[in-house]
Amino acid sequence: MNTNTENFTLIKGFFLSNLFGFSLIGISKLLLLHPGVFVYTEFVVIPLLMGVISAWCWKDLDLKGKQLTTLSCLNGIIAIVLSAFILDEGVICLIIVSPLIFAFIVTGVFTGKAMFRKNNKNLNISIFSLLLLLFVADSLATHHHENMVSDVMLINAPAKEVWKHVVAFEKIEEKNKFWLFRMGMPSPVQATVDGYYQGAGRKCIFSNGYIFDEKITVYKPGQDLTFEIVSQPQDPEIMGHIDILRGQFLLKDNGDGTTTLTGNSWYRLYVFPLWYYDTWAESITRNVHLRVMDHIKVLSEKR
Amino acid sequence: MIFEFIVKRFGFLKRIPLLPQLFDALLRVQALIAKPELLSWLDSLEKELQSWPGVSISMHKYGGSQFNYQGREIAHLHSNGLLDVRYSLKIKQELLTEGRISEHHVLPHTGWVSFQLRSEEDLKYALRLIEISCSMKIGHCSSSL
Repeated sequence: MNTNTENFTLIKGFFLSNLFGFSLIGISKLLLLHPGVFVYTEFVVIPLLMGVISAWCWKDLDLKGKQLTTLSCLNGIIAIVLSAFILDEGVICLIIVSPLIFAFIVTGVFTGKAMFRKNNKNLNISIFSLLLLLFVADSLATHHHENMVSDVMLINAPAKEVWKHVVAFEKIEEKNKFWLFRMGMPSPVQATVDGYYQGAGRKCIFSNGYIFDEKITVYKPGQDLTFEIVSQPQDPEIMGHIDILRGQFLLKDNGDGTTTLTGNSWYRLYVFPLWYYDTWAESITRNVHLRVMDHIKVLSEKR
Repeated sequence: MIFEFIVKRFGFLKRIPLLPQLFDALLRVQALIAKPELLSWLDSLEKELQSWPGVSISMHKYGGSQFNYQGREIAHLHSNGLLDVRYSLKIKQELLTEGRISEHHVLPHTGWVSFQLRSEEDLKYALRLIEISCSMKIGHCSSSL
């Protein structure tokens, strides 16, 4: 096989696999099978099948394992770049999704290599069809997941003092510690309120200017501040894939001049598989909590 | 170290379809980033074994490449360069005295042994280990590397 034919075959592997992957996602979006939701097979089965398709295109090239791994990673990069343009995904989102894409494309390529080495057409078609069936079944299934993240912090100040900084707080000037915030993911910087009573409006302002409009539903000074999220920005960077539903600060006066502050957040996730994305969502929510709670601690203990 | 930790703590998940292959793919990506020459050594080993009579290569059920002699598994290679080879207990004890192999990372009380490829020079020893396993099956596969 000459170099031109080899290059053409390699490009064919990239092109056909991505065409297949994005067509499948496009069809499921057009049919509104799961509007606004990315199901697990889109991150698992599609990259896997993309790898198998690439392996089929490249089967006559006699590629070594190292070449196949490199080409698979390159194919993953192509898929991620295309996702940025076609699916309008943001950089942080793509960073989060990339380990899944790389891992399943490489798995698909080596599974495909083993499949085509045996050259059992019936078996190969069965595996391919089974995976496609899995995609259809998952696309038709109901996807609804809500979760709550809770964090606790001890503050060396009485509850009365802590409360002053819970309802609204001045701008957070301290540098971000969480790596995703440092990479540009929006982090909370300030909270403002219309008034100090149940039913008042509250705004949580993020570093890039995003504003979460909230409504205070429980207002018990020194004890409980609960608020519902009324509206939140829809942005390619994470925000379109997770909805924060509710937030809560619980204060417990320990009777020794200290207060135990508990931060709770409820969210709904629109991306699956949960074993992957819920881990990220929990980590991000936790770091949002800690950013705010650390600030409340500093302000409360400054007196 | 990460490999050992995951195999010990999460080894029970290996029966979930595709999960071991996924883990092995991650080992490959890690090797490509951190030690790309390792992938070249794995390719050299596979290429050499493909030329041995009676030896075939397939995908191992728990991830990596499986080497079969006359259709039966004699060894498998994980993508972090860990080679597992099967012997009789007697031969295993003899080989252990050479000090280069260790008990199998999951099945220490069987004939299986583990050998970690750390350099290109280790390829010769890896082939010797597989050759010995072949010869146990009254075969005549041979190494030329």
